[in-house]
Amino acid sequence: MLKLKDVTVRYETAEAVRGVSIEVPEGSVISVIGANGAGKSTILKAISGLVPLYSGEIEFSGQKINRMAVNQIVDLGVVQVPEGRRLFPYMSVMANIKLGAYLRRDKRGMMADMEEVFRLFPRLKERSNQKAGSLSGGEQQMLAIGRGLMARPKLLMMDEPSLGLAPVVIDLLADTIRTINQSGITVLLVEQNASLVTRVSQKCYVIEVGRVVLEGNVQELMADDSVRRAFLG
Amino acid sequence: MNKRILIWILSYGILTVFPFLIPLFITGPYVTHILILTVMNIILASSLRLINLSGQLSLAHGGMMTIGAYTSTLLVVKLGLSSWVALLLAGLLAAVIAGLVGFPFVRLKGIYFAIVTIFLTAMVTLMAQQWRSLTSGSYGIYNIPRPDPIVIPGILNITFTSSVNCYYLVLVIMLVSLIMLYAIEHSRIGLTFRGIQQSDSLAESVGVNTAGLKVLAFSIGCFFAGITGGFYSQYIMAIAPDTFGFLFTVYILIYMTVGGSGKFIGPILGAFILTILPEVMRPLKQFQPFFFAGVLMLVIFLMPEGIVGLPGRLKTIAGRLFKEQQERA
Repeated sequence: MLKLKDVTVRYETAEAVRGVSIEVPEGSVISVIGANGAGKSTILKAISGLVPLYSGEIEFSGQKINRMAVNQIVDLGVVQVPEGRRLFPYMSVMANIKLGAYLRRDKRGMMADMEEVFRLFPRLKERSNQKAGSLSGGEQQMLAIGRGLMARPKLLMMDEPSLGLAPVVIDLLADTIRTINQSGITVLLVEQNASLVTRVSQKCYVIEVGRVVLEGNVQELMADDSVRRAFLG
Repeated sequence: MNKRILIWILSYGILTVFPFLIPLFITGPYVTHILILTVMNIILASSLRLINLSGQLSLAHGGMMTIGAYTSTLLVVKLGLSSWVALLLAGLLAAVIAGLVGFPFVRLKGIYFAIVTIFLTAMVTLMAQQWRSLTSGSYGIYNIPRPDPIVIPGILNITFTSSVNCYYLVLVIMLVSLIMLYAIEHSRIGLTFRGIQQSDSLAESVGVNTAGLKVLAFSIGCFFAGITGGFYSQYIMAIAPDTFGFLFTVYILIYMTVGGSGKFIGPILGAFILTILPEVMRPLKQFQPFFFAGVLMLVIFLMPEGIVGLPGRLKTIAGRLFKEQQERA
């Protein structure tokens, strides 16, 4: 479904991502794992069209998307839940969810999806009139995901959703990701937290200083000593 | 619930009708002039707030008013157009120019956007001064006719030779403007403006065309500035290049900020209070600017959200005092 071919991204002169190739088959949950500054977020930004490619190519459903505008890419169904549960903090939960469906014109479908989001996250319904900034960390992450779902994604990309969340909430997050995946949405997960990755995804790419150093089945990779030392401590 | 709606309609009704009644009780050219200025400032500060809603601080309002004033004047004086058409075109031209310069401008954020809009105001003033064949330069243009009378034979004949009728006119313009601004703010576009204000990179990743919408907000705000500028030139019957300069623009910004840019009513309150207050303070003569500055400092230090933030602040202060007292007891 999504293919990154030999993608390189440069900020000024520094290379953040060097010749990365990633493949995300339809219906899967693929993870990209790496330490701080490895270039994980840059990969997602490049897919979303938020940073230009220096070289390489990105393909979504057979279509080249690396020259498209951000809103066109979102319209295709490639939606990002950005890092640090970024929300519109002074807006209500409801307004945040509505803005997630910004590009959609089908009112009825939007209402149905809103119901779906509230069914997935009942807490959000209870707090729909509260300011997003006043939610707890876990609720904010759920709102960020809910907002992403409102865009009716085919591919949902999540940038470190487990960051700063309590283990219990991470369990809930893992369930949520599985539920989302079962509803037919392909998930690309970028993480530092190996425990979330092992629980939800099938295939995993390990990134170090902008390069893919290892890739393969999650179970096999986690058996690898070097990976375990790096990400499980 | 029904009672609440009734109260709502009643209070807004009174607020709408009241300004129309003022000239019945207080008359005189001086008072009328101040009233007209107040109403104009309300339009200006409120339209500035719409631009601010999309996260941009514009200081182009003075320039846009100058554009509006000269457009309407030249169309009436040189081409003999109806003053009403000229007024509308004044607003539209301001909006179009804002739309054109907007595209390069909105690439800049925060204070940098504010700086280029200051340059825009300065450039418009300079152009009006230097393009003598069209604008007669620093002399300005005099004897601009007042707005054309509204005549429906046998029923209606409103002339604008008296200032009081000009006041009524600007009041109607204000009401229409405020309704439009309110509708925009509470529409989907308004919601998106707020999104851009709070985080434009996030809005972009949701799929919002942030640049385009910022230009739109800028352009709509400037439309109202153009109309107000056009009206003023018709009312005063004269226009000069520096009538609406940088200082004038800063005053609009002050009205908005002091009133509080967070709520719709903020700029309205700010413009009202800060236009009336200096007039009330006239007996202080040369100390008047100090007083004005003092009020500004007080507001900035004590009410960072502006006058509209005052009730909430008083509540928290009262709550704190109450709590302290309880703890002491």
